[in-house]
Amino acid sequence: MILRRIVYAFVLLLAVLVMNFALIHLAPGDPVETLVGEMGGATPEFIEQMRAAYGLDQPFYIQLATYLGRVAQGDFGFSLYFNRPVLELMFHRIGPTILLVVTAVLIALTLGTFLGVLAAQRRNSWLSHLVTVFSLVGYSTPVFWVGIMLILVFSVALPIFPIAGMYQSDTSATGLAFLLEVLHHLILPAMTLALIYLAFYTRLSRASMIDVLDSDYVRTARAKGLKNYLVIYKHALRNAILPVVTFAGLQFGQVLSGAVLVETVFGWPGLGTLAYDSILRRDTPTLLAILFFSASLVIVVNMVTDIVYRYIDPRMRAEQ
Amino acid sequence: MSTRLLSVRDLGITFLTDDGEIEVLRDVSFELNSGEVLGIVGESGCGKSMTALALIGLIPKPFGRISNGRILLEGEDLAVASEKRLRQVRGNDISMVFQEPMTSLNPVFTVGHQISETLRAHFDMSSRETWSRAIEMLKLVGIPSPEKRANEYPHQLSGGMRQRVMIAIALVCEPKLLIADEPTTALDVTVQAEILQLFRELQEKTGTAIILITHDIGVVAEMADRVMVMYAGKVVETGTARDFVYDPMHPYTHGLISCVPKLVHNPSYDPAPLLEIPGVVPSLRELKRTGCPFAPRCKNEIDKCRSAEPSLAEIADDHAVACWNRMETAW
Repeated sequence: MILRRIVYAFVLLLAVLVMNFALIHLAPGDPVETLVGEMGGATPEFIEQMRAAYGLDQPFYIQLATYLGRVAQGDFGFSLYFNRPVLELMFHRIGPTILLVVTAVLIALTLGTFLGVLAAQRRNSWLSHLVTVFSLVGYSTPVFWVGIMLILVFSVALPIFPIAGMYQSDTSATGLAFLLEVLHHLILPAMTLALIYLAFYTRLSRASMIDVLDSDYVRTARAKGLKNYLVIYKHALRNAILPVVTFAGLQFGQVLSGAVLVETVFGWPGLGTLAYDSILRRDTPTLLAILFFSASLVIVVNMVTDIVYRYIDPRMRAEQ
Repeated sequence: MSTRLLSVRDLGITFLTDDGEIEVLRDVSFELNSGEVLGIVGESGCGKSMTALALIGLIPKPFGRISNGRILLEGEDLAVASEKRLRQVRGNDISMVFQEPMTSLNPVFTVGHQISETLRAHFDMSSRETWSRAIEMLKLVGIPSPEKRANEYPHQLSGGMRQRVMIAIALVCEPKLLIADEPTTALDVTVQAEILQLFRELQEKTGTAIILITHDIGVVAEMADRVMVMYAGKVVETGTARDFVYDPMHPYTHGLISCVPKLVHNPSYDPAPLLEIPGVVPSLRELKRTGCPFAPRCKNEIDKCRSAEPSLAEIADDHAVACWNRMETAW
């Protein structure tokens, strides 16, 4: 079962590689011309020379085959812009992105579920209606706008949080102090990224919880004389959380793409800003590597979700 | 020798709806001695299940409430008890088995866990003690290889098995009163018989009083010592199981029994005609407050039935009927 999933994952990754490569080649714009443009112009001979040097004069399928062969060996090539290995460039950027995305998902999941459970228990209370309104607003607000508004309010009007970056550029803090500094910088971007999913998970867990609270087994739990918190957080929530977990896994890819926007707005030094800059610079190898990495991450997260799901829902285990 | 366990007096329950408050239960009074089996009979929507939920304080909130009356369990009034006190009573003094074994167990916990959890809610016991007690209970309710089954999840068990587990949960704290709300309705006929047999065995073994809610007349005749017939939120007849079967006085009770299909009607084995009570149970919303609620469907209706509501009157020892023109001869 697990083995079959891994084989599928590899097939999927291969498809991702080919699609990305093809899409970028179909897109308008020529990396060499962008490059020489930034150098301040060049003779047609020099441009041809550069094309040959990067192998860009070869037909598409030869380029694709060469690319796949290199990736198979773990070689993602050199950045056209920085002229450094792509992996080295990415290496420093992965940590901040994962920190941002994981924090945002954790905030959205825990806070969203908690609010949903609270709202479900008193489904006609003002709190419940407030949660509904909040989640509709949160769900329909663009991420970049939320980011800019948060900066305006909490960094400009009330200077509580820094405007951008992951730490002060001239920081001398180490150890715990450095950690706190990063945390201080993390709050606004993480909240921005979390907001839309927070709204979604609140709605989802509220609806799911309302269903479960009406179920026969919750009535059984009450009839046993269990304390209310056990009925709610053990018997009901363990069941209500199942669709939330499914969606959290499915939406991970969206969170990752949301991170590109948030990182750009907040100058967060992650893969998102690198991806954004690489698009502007026509830095194809870097872009391809980032896309490949994000796709792998999404696939891995989905597999993990499946495994977690199997753990929390015994009925899934039986179907193996 | 038997002592009074439960005494329900003038119990009334109201529900808040869009049309205002409606009474779903009115003036329900009955007594139950320890070790006794009381059958509550009636069509759907007559207030049987609501009576049961009221006894364990689980009337759906916030819309339903006890508007009147007392529920005395060994002298203590549960109608006014605190939520905390009711929680101690539930599962421990009074426990309940529901109609739907397929959905009444939590799908994500093992059955052993769901049994032992009930014990932990009421007693200070180690998890090893509660687990071994859970296995004993599974054995008691007739589940083969209980050690193995205790580690299984509800979806791995059949409907009959699940109902056995529900019974194990209900009996694990040795309650004084077990309420079984249509415990066999959702099961196959052969499994029904097994479960009823199990109830009877366990009742003899433990001496628990049972309130058996059902619309199955056969089950009542088989199991109950006394029977209470309900219609439109009211008690219309109470008596011994013998009275109920052989000497029903209320036209509604009479009708219910006539509706039971007969397997053998005459020597030529022609199927007996199926009988029915004409009309349907009135919606409590539309119920008129004057006259007998059963009058529109009653074959014995007289003028008085439309103008005044009859109350429960003792007509013989331990046999009471609420009717102006009761059946003279039973059959």
